[in-house]
Amino acid sequence: MSHEHALVDHLFRECAGQMVSALTRVLGPDHLDIAEEVVQDALVKALQTWPYRGVPANPRGWLFSVARNGALDIVRRDALLRKKLEPVFAIPTDIEVGYAEEAFGDDELAMVLMCCHTDLPRDARVALTLKTAGAFSVREIAAAFLCEPATIAQRIVRAKRTIVEQEIRFELPRGDELRARLDSVLDVLYLLFNEGYNAHEGESLVRQELCHEAIRLARLLTRRDETDIPRLHALLALMLLQASRLSARTDETGMLLLLAEQDRSRWDRTLISAGMRFLESSAAGDEVSTYHIQAGIAAAHAVAADESSTDWALILRLYDDLSAIAPSPVVELNRAVAIAMVKGPTAGIRALEMLRAHPALARYYLLPAILAGLWLRAGDSARAAACYGEALGLSCTSPERRFMQRKLAECTAHGAPAQ
Amino acid sequence: MPKYLLVARDDGRWQTASGEMSPAQMQEMLQTYGAWGERVAKQGRLKGGEKLRDGQGKVLRGGNSGLSVTDGPFVESKEVIGGFWILEAPGYADVEKLVSDHPHLNFGSLEIREIEDMGRA
Repeated sequence: MSHEHALVDHLFRECAGQMVSALTRVLGPDHLDIAEEVVQDALVKALQTWPYRGVPANPRGWLFSVARNGALDIVRRDALLRKKLEPVFAIPTDIEVGYAEEAFGDDELAMVLMCCHTDLPRDARVALTLKTAGAFSVREIAAAFLCEPATIAQRIVRAKRTIVEQEIRFELPRGDELRARLDSVLDVLYLLFNEGYNAHEGESLVRQELCHEAIRLARLLTRRDETDIPRLHALLALMLLQASRLSARTDETGMLLLLAEQDRSRWDRTLISAGMRFLESSAAGDEVSTYHIQAGIAAAHAVAADESSTDWALILRLYDDLSAIAPSPVVELNRAVAIAMVKGPTAGIRALEMLRAHPALARYYLLPAILAGLWLRAGDSARAAACYGEALGLSCTSPERRFMQRKLAECTAHGAPAQ
Repeated sequence: MPKYLLVARDDGRWQTASGEMSPAQMQEMLQTYGAWGERVAKQGRLKGGEKLRDGQGKVLRGGNSGLSVTDGPFVESKEVIGGFWILEAPGYADVEKLVSDHPHLNFGSLEIREIEDMGRA
C-alpha cells in the first residue's frame, strides 16, 4: 500500500467488466447477478479502505482477489454452487500490469457475444452490454440514452431472464451463428459509439466513456481470428477517426464547433494514425460495408489541412456509394452538403429542397439548419436567418440549440431582419 | 517532529453516496482522496492510515453495577469514526493547512489531535 500510486484511467470499469465476465463463465449465465454483486462489493471495499491505506501496489490484483474471495464465500454456502469452488478458485487474480486482457480477453469477448444474442431486442443488447461488459451503472446508461433509469433496469432484467429461459450460452459461437452474432455486436458497438459521440447535454464524462468503451470492446474482437474480420477493422477505423475530433468539437465554453471552425491542431494524431492503419487493413477481402464507406469519409476529413483543401469530390463519391448500399434520409442530408462543397451552395440547396418532401425529415432540425448554412454561403443572410428560425422551432439538444442561436445572431449581424 | 492523529467521522453522507455509485464514479472519488494522500505523502507528512470496519464495535463501561458491554459506537452517535491517518508536522497550524482541502470534508468532520510524545517529557 502506498499513497503514491496513481490509478490508470478506466481501471475500475475495466476490472469490473473482466471480473464479471470471468465469474459468469464459471458460475453460468443464470448467476450473472451474483457475479455483478460480488464485483460491486469488491469495488466498494476499495472505495472504503484505499483512502486510508493508500492504493495497493497492484490495484487490479487486489480487486480481483477481493471479488474472487467474495465469490468463494457465496459458492461455499450454496449447496448447488459448491461444485464451482475449484473453477472459481482457478480464476487468476495476480495479474501483472498489461496482462489483464490476455487473462480475461476471451471471457470479455464471450460476454459481449452473449449480450448481443439475436434473441434479445436491440435496445436490451445495448443496455446489457454496457452494464455487464462495460460496468456502467443503470443511471449512467439511462443518462446516455436519455431515458428513465427504471426503463433501463427493466430492459436488463428482461434480457437476463431471456438468457436463462433460452439457455443462451456463454461461449464463442461458430459458423453462421457467429456471423449473425458478430453483425449484432458491430451494430451495438456502432450505436454505443454514436450515442457517446452525439452532442447531448450534460454527463460529458459518461459520453466520452461510451466512445472509449465501444473502441475497447471492438479491439477485443481483434483477439480471435474468427471475430477479426475486415468489417470490424472498418468500424474501428471509423470510431478512432471520429474520436480523434472529440475534444476539438467544442470550444472552451462547451459551444459546438463546425468541422470548418475546429482547430485541427487539437485533433488527436495518435488516434488518426491508428484509425488509418485499421482503414488500410479493412481493405483485406472484397466486402465493402457501410462502415468501410463511413470510415473512408472520416479519413478524408482527418487528412485534410482545412475545409477548402478537403477532397470533397471523393467524399461525394463515397456518399453516392453509401446511398446506393444503405439509403437513408440522413445519408441524403450529408450527401447534399458534399454536393454543395463540390458544385456550390445553390446545387446543395436544390438537393436539400428536394428532401423537404421526405416525411422522415419533416420534423428534423438538421435539414433547415444545413439549408441555413448553405444560404449563408450563398450570401443570403435573410433566408439563412429564416431557416435557422425554422430549425430552432424543432426539437434538438441544448448544445445544438445554442449553436443555432449563435449562427442566427451572426445572420442578423449581417443585415438579416431579427427573428 | 510532533505526530498528529487525524480522525475521519462519517455523518452518513459517505454511506449514501458510496451505495449508489458506479465503478467510474467510485474511481473518480478515490482519485480525489488519492490526490490528497499523494500530495501530503510527498511532503513527508503522511505516516500511515487505517480504515475501521463499519457497523461493528463494542463499548465497555465499568461501574457499581459491574461491567456493561454494548454494541457501538454507532448506536448513540450520529457521526461514526470511519478511519484515521497519522500525520507528522511542526504544529497544529501546519496540520490544519494540510487538511483544509481534504475531500473527506464533503462527507463528515475531521478531528486533529496531537499525539503526546512521552520521550519529550
